[in-house]
This record gives sequence, structure tokens and C-alpha cells, in this order.
Amino acid sequence: MQKFSSMRYSICHAIIMYIVMTVAIYLIFIDVPPDKMQGIVQKIFYFHVSSALTMFFAFFVVCVASIMYLWKNSDWWDAVALSAAEIGVGFCTLVLITGPIWARPIWGTWWSWDPTLTLTLVLWLIYVAYLMLRLEAYDPKRARFAAILGIVGFVDVPLIRWSVEKWRTLHPKPVLMQEGGTTGLTPAMLLTFLVCLVAFLLLFFYLLRERVSIAQSRHTLTVLRHKIDEILVG
Amino acid sequence: MSTPIMVHLEGVIKHFGTITALRGIDLDLKRGCCLGIFGPNGAGKTTLLRILATLARPSAGTVCIAGYDAVREAEKVRPLLGVLSHRTFLYGHLTAYENLQFYGRMFGLKQLTERIAEVLQIVDLMTYAHQLVRTYSRGMQQRLAIARTILHYPKLLLLDEPYTGLDKHAISRLQDLILRLHSESCTIIMSTHDLYRGLDLCDEIAIQCRGKIVYKGLSLGLDVQGFEQLYSTYVE
Amino acid sequence: MCKDSNSFIVLMSSSKIFLQQVLALLAKDLKTEWRTREIFTSMFVFAVLVVVVFNFAIGADTELIRQVVSGVVWVALLFATVLGLQRAAQMETDEDSLQGVLLALHDRSALFVAKMLAQMLYLLMVVICTLPLCGIWFRIDFIARIGELCLTFALGMLGLSIIGTLFAMIALHTRACEVMLPILFLPISIPLIIAAVYATGQLIDGKSLKDISDYLILMGVFDAVFFSLTLIIFDSVVED
Repeated sequence: MQKFSSMRYSICHAIIMYIVMTVAIYLIFIDVPPDKMQGIVQKIFYFHVSSALTMFFAFFVVCVASIMYLWKNSDWWDAVALSAAEIGVGFCTLVLITGPIWARPIWGTWWSWDPTLTLTLVLWLIYVAYLMLRLEAYDPKRARFAAILGIVGFVDVPLIRWSVEKWRTLHPKPVLMQEGGTTGLTPAMLLTFLVCLVAFLLLFFYLLRERVSIAQSRHTLTVLRHKIDEILVG
Repeated sequence: MSTPIMVHLEGVIKHFGTITALRGIDLDLKRGCCLGIFGPNGAGKTTLLRILATLARPSAGTVCIAGYDAVREAEKVRPLLGVLSHRTFLYGHLTAYENLQFYGRMFGLKQLTERIAEVLQIVDLMTYAHQLVRTYSRGMQQRLAIARTILHYPKLLLLDEPYTGLDKHAISRLQDLILRLHSESCTIIMSTHDLYRGLDLCDEIAIQCRGKIVYKGLSLGLDVQGFEQLYSTYVE
Repeated sequence: MCKDSNSFIVLMSSSKIFLQQVLALLAKDLKTEWRTREIFTSMFVFAVLVVVVFNFAIGADTELIRQVVSGVVWVALLFATVLGLQRAAQMETDEDSLQGVLLALHDRSALFVAKMLAQMLYLLMVVICTLPLCGIWFRIDFIARIGELCLTFALGMLGLSIIGTLFAMIALHTRACEVMLPILFLPISIPLIIAAVYATGQLIDGKSLKDISDYLILMGVFDAVFFSLTLIIFDSVVED
């Protein structure tokens, strides 16, 4: 756990991440030809789906970290849960922004209640509630409750997905395009998508590490402050 | 359980986030003994009692009550405990009788009606048994809280600042009860920051300061002035 | 052989104690509620208010209202649940009686089960009083499919009670607890609401059990999953 905050590891990670991102951007904007049916707007798909998958992964990390926190009662796991939730909400917002930007030219409408987007919206609500619950800087009882919410929220995901899909059948699908995006991915597109996904995941882990180390530093600072207070009083 | 040691604490530490409330408490208490824990506010007395009452878990250390591990076998420990605090733990919209009936059922007491009548007699609330508790005065509520505490024949009594908000009459009642239970070999732990009361009730006294027990000894032959001197040497 | 029968006896006696304690807690809650009738009254009045306000908000189109009435009923129940939970949780904070209960509990999940059952009963009373009103106001025949409706409402109310009780206990410890409860509770219960509204709507339209079986399964799974999950984690909610 200590090695997480080592500078050298961090810089290596950052460099690799920048390289992969540059490659991804090159592939997306220069190399891969635009989709035949959707045109250049389709390129947002790479960001949109990568964000969505990273978001799911982030919330999965929240769930696992929450379980570990309840089990082991270690502050580190709590910091991981909180950081993953913050970053997850960030990626979630990205999905909710890129979705409509994609939908508008393709479907003629800013928002259609398609299952993934709706699921993302509900997850946004759940994890924003998680962050609201954590608003207090550090309160162990609050951390425990947030951990419970982190677990409950993620367990709810398949149920939300199932119910939203069912619900969706009541609404007419957009006429122009079938859901889910393109009619199929060519190998070039698939490669580009995978590179983009890797870039996003690297970004997630980088942000996670940095955020966790900030949380740990903050924790150490508070502990030291308390020690000083005691020495002054006693 | 016939172990002579009723309460055994070893290396008990409790963190609340970054604050350490207890820094390693070691305590052994014999069955039938009455221990008074004195200390200033913030010493961690309430935290210690909450851990003994299984309402909180220690961050580290062992807590044994009547031979049971209070963390792993908490459900075996709870029926042995009677806890009295300055909050009464009572339901205002129920009568005294119903409150005691509820707790009696929770503890699975046999011959509940007779036992309820008995404790109401002890605290002298028989005539008000069927009035709603929210109509009671503070003193009456405290008396009912005492009845609730002793209802299930506890072997270990935990009193957290029991004198708070009580008038002279209620205080003498409480002291009578403690003496009575003491004579029935009930083990008692009482925490207070009031040096003058309770000293004569206790067999042993302990002084807790900033999360540690800084003094523990018999109260034999100690009068109020002597205790005051002792207290001021240990508590700055 | 002896060990087996011993552990069987232990299991039976702790189940007996569990049941005993759940019943004692439930009796205590219901007795208090019977005295004050606070929770039921506020839930019922609020549910009716929501239905009436929706009625005016949607407009005079009877056909339109018929289509949305199941949604309106469930929204009314949802908000009534939030209200009821807040008041029920409040009851335990006066004089810290929750601590007294924790001292007497053998297995802490008995508290969860009792609170959940109490909440279900309150919701049941609200539903029994509100549905006939909706039937009269919006000319809907609930009697035709009364059995299936009972099942749907039972599963839905169970889910709301389970999730609601869990988050009510959590929200109790936060500062803005009145605000936190709905914020925590509503998003998680979305699958349940979707399923309940759809199933109720279909039943009102005259469909049969077969048509809504998917949704009933969803609700059943929701209830089972969250009931088990809460039983496991409830201890960490009430402990310090």
C-alpha cells in the first residue's frame, strides 16, 4: 500500500498513459475512417462507451472496496471506495454528456430513454447520494454507511438494467437508427475502441492512485494535528 | 458461570476515526465488587461503558464478561447486563407497565407479571403503573429506568453518570438500590465525574484520564478529602 | 450424534428467541402507533394528497388519468413510505430507546425484521384505504383482478419496506436526515417502482397473471436479494 504513493511508479504510469492516449486520439481522429452510416459523429462512440465501461468498473471497485472496508475495517479501503466513487461519478457525467451529443444528430433528439443511458442516470443519482453521505470529512460511522450504500447500489445494477430494459419496450424506438450505435464494428474500429478503452482505464487507475494518496495524506495530517493538540493540552 | 473474575479487560483500544478515546485499558473486576470510575469529561468513561455494554466494539484488545467474549459472544453477555444512563431508554407513549412488559418479553422472562409488580414496588411506582410515561416527572422516569435496568436480574450493572439531573430524593433512592444489589452479589461499575457521591458505595475506585486508567485501588479507609488529594495528583 | 442434536437445539432455541423478539418489537411498535395513530394518519393523508394533486395536474381527461393511475398510486405510496419511515425512526431517538432495544437484542437483525414488518403493515393500511378512493374517483375496477393485485402490491410493499427500513436506520445518523432518506432510498427503489407500476397498470387493463409474471419475478428477486443483503450487513448499521 505504501508503494502506491511512490513518485517513480506514478511518473511511469503517467507517461504510459499519455502515450496510450495520444495513440488513441491519433487512431480515432486520423486513422480510422468514419462510420458509413453515421458519419463523423460516430467517433464520439469511442469516448462514450469507454467512459461507460470505465464507470461500471469504477462502481465495481467501490463495491469491492466497500466490502473489504466492512470486513477489514481499514481506512485504506475506505479511501479507495471514496476515490473510486468520485472518479466514477466523473465518468458517469461524461457518459451523460456524450450520450446526448451523439444522439442529437443521429436520432434527432437529445435524450431517448435507452436502457444504458437510463441506467447511467440512475447510477448517477445513487452515487451522488453516496458522495452526499460522505460530505463530512471523516466520520467512521458515515464511512460505514457509505460502504453499505456502495454495496447496495452496485447490487442494484442488474435489477435496474433488467427493469429499464423491460420498461423501455413500452416506448417507441427511435426510427432512424437501431440502439447501441453502429451496425457493426470493423476490425480497425475494434482496435481503436480497445486502445481508447485501455487509455480510459489507465486514466482511471492514475486518478485513483492520486486521489487515494491525497486521502491518505489528509488522514495523516488529521492524526498529526490531534497528536499536537494533545501534547499542547497535556 | 462461576468464574470469580466478572469483568476482564486487556489492552482495550478504541479509535473513533482519528480520535483515540481509549488507549489501552486493563481491568479485572471480581464478582460482587463495586467499582467506581472517576475522571474528568472526555476521559473516555462513557466509551468504556459502551464497550462493556456491547453497544460499541473495541478497535483492539479483549473484553471478557463472566467468561464470555463480549465481542464474539455478545448475545450471551447482553442478558447479564443492566445499563443505566441519563437517557431513560423508555417509550413515552406506553405506560410503565407496558414498557416493562416489552423489555421483559425481549429478555424472555418467565412469570413476567409478578416480576413487573415486584420491581414497580421496589421503585415505588405501583400507583402510576398504568399511566403514560410521557406524563411522568423526570424523577419518576428515572425511577422507571431503574426498574427497567433490574427487571431481568442482571449480574453486571453499568451506571453511566447516574446522578445527572437527579434531586436529593432520587439520589438516595438510587444509592439504596445500589446497596441492595451489592448485597445480592451483583457486580457494579459506576462512572461519574462527581467526586463526592458514590465514594462510600464503592469497594474499589479507579481514576480514568485521557483514555487510560491512571489509578486503581481499594477505597477502604479513604475519605472524601483523601480521595480529592489522590484525584488531583493523578488528574492534572 | 450428540453434537448434532446439540447444535440443532441451539438453532431451534435461537430461532425461538428471534421470533419472540420480533413479535415483542412489533407489538411495541403497533401499540405505540395505535395510541398516537401518527404514522398511519400522516401516510394516508399524504398519499391521498398526492393522488388528488396529480389528478389536478394531469387535467380533466379521464382516459389519460386511467392510463397513468397506477403510476400515480405508486408514487403516492413511495412518498408515503418515506414519510412513515421518518416518523418511525424518530420514535426510537426520543430518550435513546434504540440503545435500550440493542441491549436486549439477541440477534440484531430481529430489529430490522420487526421494523420492516411494521412498515409493511402501515403501507397495507394505507393501500386498503387509498385504493377504493382511487377506484371511485377514476372509475377503475380493482375487484376484477383483486388476487393478482394483492400479490403485486404485497411484493412491492415488501421491497419498499426492506430498502426503506435499511436506509431509515442509516439516515438517522446523518445530520440532514430528512433530506438524506429520500435521496438514498428513491434511486435504489427504481427497479421496484418500474415493475410495480407496469404490473399494476396491466392488471387494471384486464391482463392476466401470465402477462405480468416477468415483473413479479423481478420484484421477487429484488425483495429476496435486498432482504438477504440487509440481514448480513444490518449489524454494522447499528453498532458503534
